[in-house]
Amino acid sequence: MKKIMLCCSAGMSTSMLVKKMVEEADKRALEVDIKAFGVAEFEQQVGNYEVVLLGPQVKYMQKDLQNKASIYGIKVEPINMMDYGMQKGAAVLDFALSLIENNK
Amino acid sequence: MSSLYSKLISVIEEKITPMAGAVGQQKYVTSIRDGFILALPFMIVGSFMLVFIFPPFSPDTTWGFARAWLQFSINHRENLMLPFNFSMGIMTIFISVGVAASLARHHALDPLTSGMLSLMGFLLVAAPLKDGQISVAYFSGQGIFTALLVAIYTTELYALLKRNNITIRLPPEVPTGVARSFEILIPVLAVVLTLHPLNLFIEAQLGMIIPEAIMSLVKPLVAASDTLPAILLSVLVCQILWFAGIHGALIVTGIMNPFWMANLSVNQAAMAAGTAIPHIYVQGFWDHYLLIGGVGSTLPLAFLLMRSKAVHLRTIGRMGVVPGMFNINEPILFGAPIIMNPLFFLPFVLVPMVNASMAYFALDFGLVARVVSMTPWTTPGPIGASWAANWALSPMIMCLICMVTSAIMYYPFFKAFEKQLLDQEAGNTNPSNSVTQSATA
Repeated sequence: MKKIMLCCSAGMSTSMLVKKMVEEADKRALEVDIKAFGVAEFEQQVGNYEVVLLGPQVKYMQKDLQNKASIYGIKVEPINMMDYGMQKGAAVLDFALSLIENNK
Repeated sequence: MSSLYSKLISVIEEKITPMAGAVGQQKYVTSIRDGFILALPFMIVGSFMLVFIFPPFSPDTTWGFARAWLQFSINHRENLMLPFNFSMGIMTIFISVGVAASLARHHALDPLTSGMLSLMGFLLVAAPLKDGQISVAYFSGQGIFTALLVAIYTTELYALLKRNNITIRLPPEVPTGVARSFEILIPVLAVVLTLHPLNLFIEAQLGMIIPEAIMSLVKPLVAASDTLPAILLSVLVCQILWFAGIHGALIVTGIMNPFWMANLSVNQAAMAAGTAIPHIYVQGFWDHYLLIGGVGSTLPLAFLLMRSKAVHLRTIGRMGVVPGMFNINEPILFGAPIIMNPLFFLPFVLVPMVNASMAYFALDFGLVARVVSMTPWTTPGPIGASWAANWALSPMIMCLICMVTSAIMYYPFFKAFEKQLLDQEAGNTNPSNSVTQSATA
């Protein structure tokens, strides 16, 4: 089970992308737990996931959020702007999986 | 143009981004914002009650149903007002708990304890008790700045005491639950021993209690927050940050919220008293005239994109139009893209500023009803505008006019961008690869 957390200001636009990513994972018969949260919930949630992807509009928080995520030894990376805008579930899922893989 | 643009981008990246990061992540700004988010549902539902109290019919209506409703509202005014009074009317209670609880997270303190500590602190300074009666005069918008300051003060004090290990220490055999209940004794005592004397001192010196003093201090600021320059400046900051790909609205609303809330409560009080609604710039104005379809008012643009000849833009338009109706426009902003796209800089910044000016004057001249209700920001523009003004029709028309001007202003830039993409598609024999691929995917 891959655990991926998405994070933006209110968890609204990232939740749209989550849907696409889950669809893609289903297609690949991959077991995943992907959820979107607003930054306010970051600290409560981050411990339950293996990687955090940020909406590009909150990229400026990366350093701070990375510090909080480092306690759990996981990475916080912004999503590519175009992938985000085009809601490319497959590309973003690949990105998340590669981050989890490289972090091992 | 291109060197000017690259200069602009480098200024944004080197100067503005770190600054926005610093402000946007400043712990008080984020705590205030998150605290308001916690308080919001109460205020939205409370505001909703206004419709039952002041149904959207003219008092001389001849329609039987409307007459009956108006009569019912007059007969039961007090009972109908109760849910409103205990939500909007005591908004500072929710805000004081919410902000302290959010700030507590920054200090790894227990949010519930911090919230209660802040509530007590707020009541100490803002709720004068006379003859067994609490005055609620400062529980509404008038007490908002006091609630914020007290929430910050009490939580910081709690954090300071905890950091320096100033607490009642019990032997390790004592169960943790019991120990925890003793741990909070000193912070409570510290809050009582500092805030209460301060309040008494200020009352003796100035003849007014703390919220009165604070309100008279910030009065010029509150007044300034409801002017056209303030509107334009806040929109400009938000748009420029967003253009750089930074969530500017998060920062601007974090700062504007206390002012908007204070002004909204004044508007509601005026409505209840049957006098003219004084304030123009409150949350509903921002959400439903300036952010129609999200920041930059991109919903009209989404409609334009949907019919574009360029496959990429058509795809983005179709993908973005439904979320756009609920004011979520990241697909449009990042997908078109508008962010960092020099072609869209001008309309993206100017559209909300032009709409702000038009709406401001329309409201100022009394042509359009003013905001009296708290609405969810995800409500579709015209409906939200009407809801915010107690279901008046004029705001809906105003919002539709703003949508038309947005479409007109975006149109030439959209066409220029479309041409660029079409040239690319035609010039490229393997048709603009990634773009069309994803469009068909």
